[in-house]
Amino acid sequence: MAAIEPMEQFLVRKIAPLPPVVVPGLGPIDLSITNSVLVMLIAAGALMLFFLLAARRQVVPGRMQAAAEMVYGMVDNVLTGGIIGDKGRAYLPFIFTLFLLIACLNVLGLAPGGFSVTAQLAVTSALAVMTFVTVLAVGFALNGLSFFKLFMPSGMPLPMALLIMPIELISFFVRPLTLAMRLFGNMLGGHVVTYMFASFVVGLGLFGIEGAGIAKLGLLGSGVSFALIVALMTLEFVVAFLQAFVFAALACVYLNEVVNLGHGH
Amino acid sequence: MVGTASTTPPPPAGGSGGLPQFDISNWPGQIVWILLIFAVLYAFMAWVILPRISGAIDDREEKISGDVGEARRLRDKAQAEAEAAALEVAQARAQGLRLAAQAQTEAKARAAARQAEEEARLNALVSAAESRIAEARASAMGHVTSIAQDAAAAMVERLTGVAANQGELDRALASSEAA
Repeated sequence: MAAIEPMEQFLVRKIAPLPPVVVPGLGPIDLSITNSVLVMLIAAGALMLFFLLAARRQVVPGRMQAAAEMVYGMVDNVLTGGIIGDKGRAYLPFIFTLFLLIACLNVLGLAPGGFSVTAQLAVTSALAVMTFVTVLAVGFALNGLSFFKLFMPSGMPLPMALLIMPIELISFFVRPLTLAMRLFGNMLGGHVVTYMFASFVVGLGLFGIEGAGIAKLGLLGSGVSFALIVALMTLEFVVAFLQAFVFAALACVYLNEVVNLGHGH
Repeated sequence: MVGTASTTPPPPAGGSGGLPQFDISNWPGQIVWILLIFAVLYAFMAWVILPRISGAIDDREEKISGDVGEARRLRDKAQAEAEAAALEVAQARAQGLRLAAQAQTEAKARAAARQAEEEARLNALVSAAESRIAEARASAMGHVTSIAQDAAAAMVERLTGVAANQGELDRALASSEAA
């Protein structure tokens, strides 16, 4: 019986080693194709292939075109349009790509034998920091130095402002951390719990088969664990889309603050 | 995957001890790759896919609003035509009624005139006939007087044997006529 190692599924393994690329100032970076990178490439390839086939310009859409337009409509109406408003269209490609890439990576992580890229803190951090930097860049590009009004609610008395500003600053700069940890934690937790119940199915099952008397209850435990895995997997599929949606929605909320700065929202 | 665990020795941070995600050695590669893939995917979506999808949606909305507008225009046109036709019918009806009324009054007037003319002719005929009758009567009465005179003269002659005096006969007749 193999050892129960719930974290083993998150190990990054090299598949095709490549010579490290030396970036000036950062030192050598190992860009070898790992199982993590392979899943990223599969996700990107699948998304590109799907949308290449689905994005047609027929007045009466087929099934794939209707699906692509449904995703577009959801992002346009609920996320960029719903949260940012009229100016949201400009950020639709960013949010659209972010949502689909995270959702696709989450789902590929649930595939049998797959690898959960979004359970890698490096990946969720990279996406979170990228979102944070995008928000900063958009904020400064649109507002210039009045971007700092974000931390200084208008019409606030000075003593209050001295108290509020540090809080606002902290809550602003902690965003990439929460964004990264939320997605990472959800994916990690789901996979670990599923793994644990799966090990119960095998462990308790073997225990029930080999043992006698009261040990036969192990079979019952095995069955219950199996039923729980089915339920958990259903939940994990919901979580896969939900967390992608939450990530994209929060990116929209952060963008909205800097896009509609001082317009009262 | 459990079986392959032994083939690759787990890095120090991996294995059953800590989270493999905190092994910093595989961070740079993953960060670069995810950002690179995101950038490529973003460019592909922004420049190839999204214009097509929004174009298709715009085309559809344009077509639908165009078709609806055309349908509305045709409906309005049909309605206007129907109204014009109804107006025409009403006008024709009114004119017909007016013509009918006119014809009726004209016919009435003509009938009345003809009736009056006929009545006048008949009245003339009647009065002519009446005067003829009166003449005839008068002449007949005249004959009766002379017959009565003759008869009276004959009766007087037979009774008295004397020829009757013409003047007395006239008087007697006149008094009996008056009575």
